[in-house]
Amino acid sequence: MKTLRRITLRVNGTAYTGEAEPRKTLADFIREDCGLTGTHLGCEHGVCGACTILMDGQTVRSCLMFAVQAEGAEMTTVEGLADGDRLHPIQQAYWDHHALQCGFCTPGFLMTTVEFLNDNPQPTEREIREALAGNLCRCTGYQNIVTAVAAAAHTLAAATGALRETGAAVPVSRATGVAAGPRKTRATRAAPHRARQTGKPSKRRSGPKR
Amino acid sequence: MKPAPFEYHCPRTVDEGTALLARYGDDAKVLAGGQSLVPLMNMRLARPANLIDINRIESLAYIRDDGRALRIGALTRQRAAERAPQVAERCPLLRDALRLVGHAQIRNRGTIGGSIAHADPAAELTAVLVALDGEVTARGPKGTRVIAARDLFVSYLTTSLDPRELLTEVCLPAPPKGAGWSWMEIARRHGDFALAGVGVVLAVRGGKITAARIGLTGVGPTPVRPAEAERLLTGQTPSEDLWNGAAEAVRAAVAPDGDIHASAEYRTHVAGVLTQRALREAWERAREAA
Amino acid sequence: MKLEGTNTLPASVDTVWKTINDPDALRSCTPGLKELKATGPDTYQATLQIGIAAVKGTYAGTLSITDKRAPTHYKITLEGTGGAGFMKGEGSVDLEPQGSGTLLKWTGDLQVGGLIAGVGQRMLGGVGKMLIGQFFKCLEERLGGSA
Repeated sequence: MKTLRRITLRVNGTAYTGEAEPRKTLADFIREDCGLTGTHLGCEHGVCGACTILMDGQTVRSCLMFAVQAEGAEMTTVEGLADGDRLHPIQQAYWDHHALQCGFCTPGFLMTTVEFLNDNPQPTEREIREALAGNLCRCTGYQNIVTAVAAAAHTLAAATGALRETGAAVPVSRATGVAAGPRKTRATRAAPHRARQTGKPSKRRSGPKR
Repeated sequence: MKPAPFEYHCPRTVDEGTALLARYGDDAKVLAGGQSLVPLMNMRLARPANLIDINRIESLAYIRDDGRALRIGALTRQRAAERAPQVAERCPLLRDALRLVGHAQIRNRGTIGGSIAHADPAAELTAVLVALDGEVTARGPKGTRVIAARDLFVSYLTTSLDPRELLTEVCLPAPPKGAGWSWMEIARRHGDFALAGVGVVLAVRGGKITAARIGLTGVGPTPVRPAEAERLLTGQTPSEDLWNGAAEAVRAAVAPDGDIHASAEYRTHVAGVLTQRALREAWERAREAA
Repeated sequence: MKLEGTNTLPASVDTVWKTINDPDALRSCTPGLKELKATGPDTYQATLQIGIAAVKGTYAGTLSITDKRAPTHYKITLEGTGGAGFMKGEGSVDLEPQGSGTLLKWTGDLQVGGLIAGVGQRMLGGVGKMLIGQFFKCLEERLGGSA
């Protein structure tokens, strides 16, 4: 009963096409068919938040959606945050405040933070803690993450302020509409993915058959 | 943790949806927000042979104020309802309860209709529906029918909806203008399932309570409407003694089970405490509105 | 989890005793019991399909009756394993005459483990009691009582 469907998804401003069963989750499609492995699988039942991405600007648990459901939407993953080698201010804040150790939960936290600071640019500490309650971290004990989010709020507010004052463009990358660039630490596998971006059907990646 | 294979259906209209349910209803599940269903499917605790994805039925997402009640389409996202001006104005109890449903990521996809049809014993929306004497509209092979909240919830995760019926609308009578409200719940962490939750609405005139509505969650297989507590409050002048009396009546009305998260005694006790606090807050708000 | 209860059944102790030992009655009244095949005296192979709403699991196991003291007492054990986990229910049943009917007292120990127990923890006790309640309601109807 294996019915494969041709699915095209837009992630970080680029179209990716793959063939998958309807039961393939959005998270798996992003990782396997789009080759964007920044989105992580922690619990696969909607509790840990490691799979959090933005769909049309709103956070969703990509492990709780099927890839077919995301057709027509604009997805943003962690790979869409940085502008080339320039980290997004939220990423920079996490870096500066040691808000990650193993980094497994971090992409999920980053996407949650993007939506949160968009909705609430000047949060209180309590609001930050409540907003992050849907993401679990086993390493940091959360304190540095809270500090990083507060710092990021400050940076983002300052940048917007600077924009208004001087009128000059401040290089703040925004999460949407930015094509993913190759990260410094990324393996050369980045090149084959570009072929997929032109709309050619993606090759199934190596690994256990799902 | 991947779901078992299923036949995927994606209707675009309610009629297409009900036709699919009529055909596959015995071994099908409706997929709305998926925040409760997909975890079960990923763990293979639920293995419907047919999945009917209603997320493309745009006609099911709406919030209308018909003057007497808020009519909310089943597919309305919880986050949208949480932020809707009509909800803030006409039914702030719903808004406050929604803020405590899971986390933002869950509310961005989770739907009003889905939460009610799923009937989790610790859900917020089911208690709100019951407290406000709400009703739902369901469409199935036998046509359309309206089910009152008191007839809807049967047991754990079980409603009186037929497997071939699609819940299309949730109707919440708006409390009278100037009524006070409060939603209080307790959980170990923000966003966890409530160990006990209470929604209260108090209509007040001339310093006396003219009507009281209470809905509880997390204290039994279905949401509880403590009639005796409401009777105790009606016509009375608010006081700490009155709140205490109502809290005791609520404790007598619930019979929760204990589990590793909280004992039965704790849940019962806390249901009373939350009722007292909610009544106090609702009364404060009614006074401010006056 | 420890559960207990009492039920009044509208039949004599002897009739109730016969019924609760009758594989037909057990087959039709045990919620979710799909198959009950005798493998020896008072021992059966059982297949259970049990759950609530969309959450259903199939369990394969055994049902056995022990410690028989006719016509007033026995122990009944139902255990099974399946993809969703395992369950083991041990019940002790005592009958005593009450007027023209029978007072049935039961105490039980229900253990559920595996995935279903982890995920369904907050509902297990309640659902367990509900299913046991269904069993006795069915017995009651079978013995001619009102629903």
